[in-house]
Amino acid sequence: MEEMEILKKLEKVKAPPDFEQKVMAELSLRRRSRLRRRLGLQLSLAGAVASLLVGFVLWNFVVIGKRNPLGISPAGREWTDSAAAGPISGSGRTLPIIETLDYSLEVRNRGQAPQAVYLLEQVSDKTPKGVRF
Amino acid sequence: MDEQELMRLVKEGDEEAFARIVGAYKDRIVNYLYQFSGDYQKAVELAQETFIRVFFKAGQYRPLAPLSSWIYAIASNLARTEMKKSRRQQIVSLEEVAAHEFASSAYSQDPPSSGLLENLREALRSLHPRYRIPVVLKDLEGFSQDEIAEILKKPVGTIKARISRGRGILRKKLEKATAGSGGGIF
Repeated sequence: MEEMEILKKLEKVKAPPDFEQKVMAELSLRRRSRLRRRLGLQLSLAGAVASLLVGFVLWNFVVIGKRNPLGISPAGREWTDSAAAGPISGSGRTLPIIETLDYSLEVRNRGQAPQAVYLLEQVSDKTPKGVRF
Repeated sequence: MDEQELMRLVKEGDEEAFARIVGAYKDRIVNYLYQFSGDYQKAVELAQETFIRVFFKAGQYRPLAPLSSWIYAIASNLARTEMKKSRRQQIVSLEEVAAHEFASSAYSQDPPSSGLLENLREALRSLHPRYRIPVVLKDLEGFSQDEIAEILKKPVGTIKARISRGRGILRKKLEKATAGSGGGIF
């Protein structure tokens, strides 16, 4: 065990005199950089959430706004688009209301129904495939 | 104010309480890390990092064990990690060596090392950290085997075995070194 006793004789060292100051300076530096990093993280998170929100709102305007909730035929949509963009009355924009009607059914049941005269007005240059005169 | 109270304040971010803990442990930790690494400058750097970690990890401290064990555990882990790192990069400039030698002798209390002490230091340095840490904690820092087991998070039996094996290796190395130089050990 003698060599273990001699281990105790190994030179002992002390911390340098400015050790505490250096530790405290390093500590305040690290605290500041941690704070900055945390702030940066929070800001980038907030930015990501905000851009997601803006993206969602834009998508709503562009994609959902273009969708036709009434299911108007392409020919009818062309007409409504031009009408919606075109005539503007004195009080504001005029919105055309289109009521769809299945003429083929009307004509097919002609025999049973009382005599009637149908006046078919063409609303588009293109002939819808579903309508038979 | 006792250590537990100081640690409670450190957890809340009190720098004054932290400074008191640094003041109380700085010499012991620097000396421990110096005995472990044999490099004064490295020991000071590691001790600084140890205390910084004490501050930031204060929330993880449980007052079941003495504060000294917890601080030594942090220092030991850092020293081990540093050891692994330095094993990978062994290239040191001559200026750096000279600076370390100067810094080391600047604050040492004892007269310059004799041949035997030099051999002892060399033998200690060549000891694997697995044995070096328990031997330094036991024979230089004066911790009990139970305390070392607590610091290194190992069973007491393992610590006993490592201390005994470490001392054995140290003895053999010293015998070899002194036989090589032609003198007796003691």
